[in-house]
Amino acid sequence: MHKGLHRILLIAKRDYLATIRTKAFIIGLVVAPILFGGGFLGIALIQSKPDIKERHVAIIDRTGVLAAAVIQAAEEKNAKDLFDKTSHRQVQPRYVFETVPPAPDPKLQRLALSERVRHEQLFAFIEIGPAALDAAPPSTNDKDSKPGPVATYTNAGGFDEASRWLGDAIDEGVQRVRLARLGVDPRLVPDVLSDVKVDRFGLVSRDLKTGEIHEAGKKNEIAEFGVPFGIMLLLGMIVMIGASPMLSAVTEDKAQRLVEMLLGMATPFELMMGKVLGALGTSLTSSAFYIIGGTLALSGMGLSGLVPFAVFPWFYVYLIADVTFLCSLAAALGSGCSSPQEAQQLAIVLLAPVMIPYFLIAFVMQQPNGAISTVLSLFPPFTPMLMLLRQAMPGGGVPVWQPWVGLMGVLAFTLLMVTAAARIFRVAILMQGRAPKVADLVRWAVRG
Amino acid sequence: MMDAVQISNVTKAFGTVTAVDDLSLTVPEGSVYGFIGPNGSGKTTTMRMISSIFYPDRGEVRVFGKQMLGARSELIGYLPEERGLYRKMAVQPMLEFYGELRSGRNVTTEVESWLTRLDLAKWASQKVQSLSKGMSQKVQFIAAVVPAPRLLILDEPFSGLDPVSADVIQSAILDLRRGGVTVILSTHDMHTAETMCDSICMIFRGKKVLDGTLASIQDQYGNDTIRVAAEDGAKCLDGLPGVERVRDLGQIQELRMARGCDPQQVLQTLIARTRVTSFSVMKPSLHDIFVRIAGPHAAEAQNA
Repeated sequence: MHKGLHRILLIAKRDYLATIRTKAFIIGLVVAPILFGGGFLGIALIQSKPDIKERHVAIIDRTGVLAAAVIQAAEEKNAKDLFDKTSHRQVQPRYVFETVPPAPDPKLQRLALSERVRHEQLFAFIEIGPAALDAAPPSTNDKDSKPGPVATYTNAGGFDEASRWLGDAIDEGVQRVRLARLGVDPRLVPDVLSDVKVDRFGLVSRDLKTGEIHEAGKKNEIAEFGVPFGIMLLLGMIVMIGASPMLSAVTEDKAQRLVEMLLGMATPFELMMGKVLGALGTSLTSSAFYIIGGTLALSGMGLSGLVPFAVFPWFYVYLIADVTFLCSLAAALGSGCSSPQEAQQLAIVLLAPVMIPYFLIAFVMQQPNGAISTVLSLFPPFTPMLMLLRQAMPGGGVPVWQPWVGLMGVLAFTLLMVTAAARIFRVAILMQGRAPKVADLVRWAVRG
Repeated sequence: MMDAVQISNVTKAFGTVTAVDDLSLTVPEGSVYGFIGPNGSGKTTTMRMISSIFYPDRGEVRVFGKQMLGARSELIGYLPEERGLYRKMAVQPMLEFYGELRSGRNVTTEVESWLTRLDLAKWASQKVQSLSKGMSQKVQFIAAVVPAPRLLILDEPFSGLDPVSADVIQSAILDLRRGGVTVILSTHDMHTAETMCDSICMIFRGKKVLDGTLASIQDQYGNDTIRVAAEDGAKCLDGLPGVERVRDLGQIQELRMARGCDPQQVLQTLIARTRVTSFSVMKPSLHDIFVRIAGPHAAEAQNA
């Protein structure tokens, strides 16, 4: 074996074994998915413990006819939504209404009811204006603080489900009265207003060999959203497990004076590549743990159809490229730092190629083949995360050429990063004292 | 016999600071070659260039006749001034890692042999962080000498060592030299340089200011030094005619004579002042030569 390659592999093996034998790695393997998936767990936990305290709502009806219809619609909603259909557990608060006759001074009445809300005697109050029954009520501008035909007043938070719930009840009550005025039998109104169930399907296809037409499959929310999101989350998590310790590891080696010892035996490039390969080994180990574990878990639950086997090769190609370029970058940045504290300040640079795609998830999932999604997923630092997300979406329709062009870009970018990082590493690794400026790093990256 | 190291007109600068300035020297194979010089004079930079850790800006470095051009060679063993060991690794696996990294082959036998020789065998499976400073230094030394380099570069090998450990390392270095290994070492201890080194090179402000055997260096200065012991000590030496500088060593004093000064005249003047118990005319010590070149402040910094 070539001596340089042997040295690279030897350094990689030492770093890899040193990392995977630490308690931090083993604990991190278990804790990382909890941290990354903690948001979902938190939401699930919160949803399992809903606030079911009764909510009292007052209604001022200036039409004289709507309050009863709104209350009836609300009672029906209470009956329908209050309990979970399978567990029979109460999952929503019951809304209890009281009608308040309109007072001559609306301002004073609103103030009095607001005080009752502040004192928690009421959850909210609704004011139905005289124009609420008009077929085309005047539109209200959101910026205008004057109330529209119907207004709810509450001090509940902006994301409280109550606003939507009350809005639906009011809407239904108003529609019933309008229909009754048009002569529709009130007994038919619930059927008339009932929701139409819309099922979502993929596309119908023809078997090229037999000519048989295959019916489209029903779209599955987990496959549509959960799988692409999950696999992208996994990629980002594993990349960070491999790349983020590199910054501090290089700085520590430098601070502990190990670097000069090692540089007496290996070239700076060999040392850096050995470290990068060691980190790559760590990432591949973590990925094997999660991929095998996840596949077995889904198979055990009878959901093996959700495992996106087709994107696994891409997952690994992107993983290798992402870890290689981020670790090279981390090695270069770490080589310029004199202390772990200094290195921590640069961690944000490493996080960017993983965190920015996370912020773009919703946008890309809404328009996976839009121009901006396409451009973003072909931008090399984001390609591994965003292209994988698009590829993992069932029926995402990513043109065949795009992942390959993206891959070429990522490989070229990785090569560029490794070359530049090796040049910076060679110069900066033995520097002590003054931290290099950005201009220094750029100069070293270009000239070596 | 060929030269182990040949440095020709080498210059190395860091930004605006020239660390090594047009340096040329040769290290004969099989010799112990000592670098002396104040801190920051360019010794470590020169050693790093020989080890290919730094590349010269100008000039050429040849090791056993070959230009290194950044390549790593198992022929060179290097002990840096700053000690670098993996604190959480066990001693033997770490030394085997370093040895294989340098040589590309398994070095378990050599590592075991050196651990036994330096009385560290029972620490082989202990983590480096559990070792005392002296033991860590010995481990670091083993890392430099495994597996049998032909050129051993030691940057301050005795720094911070207790006398017993220093003797062990010194003995090992001299054994290696007897086995044909060329040794380049830097030291702040002039006594070590005088007693161990076949050739001594002093670098000052990046330039070579002395190079040769101890005798040839001393010959350049002639017999201009008097070592005297008198009953009244240093206080009776004030204003002694013909004496440029007095160095008080406690029980004895070292006098440097001005050019043309007659030592007999100095002795007569001294006898007139006090009872002289010892008086000898000699060549200057390496320490004195060092101070003459670098100045007393550099000497104080060295000894600090």
